[in-house]
Amino acid sequence: MIMQTQYDEKKHALVIQIEGRFDFSCHKAFKDAYSSVESNCKFELDMTKVTYVDSSALGMLLLLRDYAGGDQGEIVLSHCNDAVEKILRIANFDRLFSLH
Amino acid sequence: MSLVSLNILIADDNPSDRLLLKAMLSGLGHNVEVAEDGLEAIEKFDPDSTQLVCLDVVMPECDGLEAAIKIQEMSRGRFIPIVFLSGLSDTSSLVNCLKVGGSDFISKPFNLVLIAAKLDAIIRILSLQKTLESQRDKLSSYNEQLIHEQEVAKVVYENITHSNCLSDPCLNTFYYGHHLFNGDVILAAYKPNGGMHLLIGDFTGHGLSAAIGALPLADIFFEWTRKGFLMRQIVPEINRRLKAILPADMFCSALFVDINITDKTLEVWNGGLPDALFFSQRQKKPQPLVSHNLPLGIVAESEFTYSTEIVSFENGDSFLAWSDGIYEAIDSKGLMFSEYQLNSLIEGRVEVGDIMPWLRRKLETEGVLDSSHDDISCLKIELHDAIGVEQESSQDKAAELDMPSDFSFEYTLNADSLKNTDPLPYILQIIMTVSGLKRYSGQVFMMLSELYSNALEHGVLQLNSELKATNDGFVLYYMERETRLSTLETGFIRIKVSISSNEVGGLLSIELEDSGDGFDTSKVGLKLEDSDELYNRGLPLLGQLCQSITFSDKGNQVGVQYQWDK
Repeated sequence: MIMQTQYDEKKHALVIQIEGRFDFSCHKAFKDAYSSVESNCKFELDMTKVTYVDSSALGMLLLLRDYAGGDQGEIVLSHCNDAVEKILRIANFDRLFSLH
Repeated sequence: MSLVSLNILIADDNPSDRLLLKAMLSGLGHNVEVAEDGLEAIEKFDPDSTQLVCLDVVMPECDGLEAAIKIQEMSRGRFIPIVFLSGLSDTSSLVNCLKVGGSDFISKPFNLVLIAAKLDAIIRILSLQKTLESQRDKLSSYNEQLIHEQEVAKVVYENITHSNCLSDPCLNTFYYGHHLFNGDVILAAYKPNGGMHLLIGDFTGHGLSAAIGALPLADIFFEWTRKGFLMRQIVPEINRRLKAILPADMFCSALFVDINITDKTLEVWNGGLPDALFFSQRQKKPQPLVSHNLPLGIVAESEFTYSTEIVSFENGDSFLAWSDGIYEAIDSKGLMFSEYQLNSLIEGRVEVGDIMPWLRRKLETEGVLDSSHDDISCLKIELHDAIGVEQESSQDKAAELDMPSDFSFEYTLNADSLKNTDPLPYILQIIMTVSGLKRYSGQVFMMLSELYSNALEHGVLQLNSELKATNDGFVLYYMERETRLSTLETGFIRIKVSISSNEVGGLLSIELEDSGDGFDTSKVGLKLEDSDELYNRGLPLLGQLCQSITFSDKGNQVGVQYQWDK
């Protein structure tokens, strides 16, 4: 798992790019990544290179959602592959996050 | 044992060498014991106190090499360094010394400076060894304690989550997990009026942390089912409790099944688990029952959704549900198991009776179990309208004193309360204060719920049960019921209960009056044989349970009398 963060000035959003398996091993890196900015920031998770998510990754997404202020937060999950999107949709996470 | 002054055992057959070395080592502050040959060294060696052994290589009786082997056997896993004393300098005999387990050599003639330096080195190794040993001991005792605690927790966990009716012949389950605890739960409980509640759940994560959430879940599931609460009351309650106690990143993907044997329907609430499958004998392909809700424990009460699917079943139909372990599983070739293997099941190409063995075979032969990182659970129900019917409540068999009782009460629900309350669990609780009635709680609950749903659906809401004559009609019927109930503005149901009992038995009478128009009571068929249809099974069922049923002329009042003996 490789994780890269970058602040996108145009979108005013912190872009977190995750590569490989998104699972419990990402826990610390992921938390460090989003808590490096103020919680009222917008977030975009670039999932282009994510091959797999498990249920603990879904839990981490909820942690980020909490950090970003729950319903008030703006979190976009972009470029999910079919398998990843399927898992997110089964859990009905499209109601909690914007899937692009 | 101190590491500054060591207990050293010296064995050398040459008296002058022996004395000289003893003097040197004593002079450096160590306690020295001497032996004249290998045999004596073995005798004097004490694994509990000796910390270093110096052996001459060539000795009569038992030479240094043999003694070294024996001494190491006696050391019982402890590291006690052996140093050889030798005048020999050829490579092969020195190599032999190291091969049998020696740590070092001291060459003769002895050189005090070299010996002092070597002893310092040995002391450093010994102190390192000592630290390691004490850390290892701490770790292993910590581990033992942890395992013990987990085993205790596991007993409690299993008592709570397994106090259920999974052994019922209509159920077939399997489970593959990687930990002492698993994040998956399968719960099953008979409802007091026949039928069954089932829940298959998958908590985030694995092991103990995942299992913790299962405790309140199981507690509510069993307790509320036993008390006669409905699925639509239990599911939100579980969500509320899990949301309150679990950390933000923990939740439970779950599927709740309500088997209703009176209507022969199956209602499924799916929150975050893969599509469950309903196999009807009338259709080639199974019907998927899709997740319409967020998993349990994520959103607050106000945002919680209760969106279910209802299917009506015939005896012999089946239902299959699984946790997402099976869905996320990857086979030995790195392919998603769900896409490449489960398709033939979803397409209806697997013989229904063979589903469970087929699945297990696939999981085992495709290498999924070796590479799987999530728990995998699977549940199959063979549907039948006799599920949970013959269940005597097993609890409280202990002989309770049957005290005489004599009371009555009246409970009227007006429109708003009809919308928002289910009065039956509360009424049942009051009735069950009569100890002689406890063993009949299933029958009493069944009478109550039949009477109540008749009064509500046909009386107050004016629904026509002929709607239920077809499979599609069933679903329509329940949708219509929801709509009419949620927009209800006027109407009432009045429930009167009176009980009198003595030591030998008693009489329970229940009367219900509703605000509806009533119906033509002359057309009531009270025999079960008269009704093969999917609907109108309620009244004949009542007729079987109680001694008499009476209707008012208008038909909007009904009373039943239930007699029991001790």
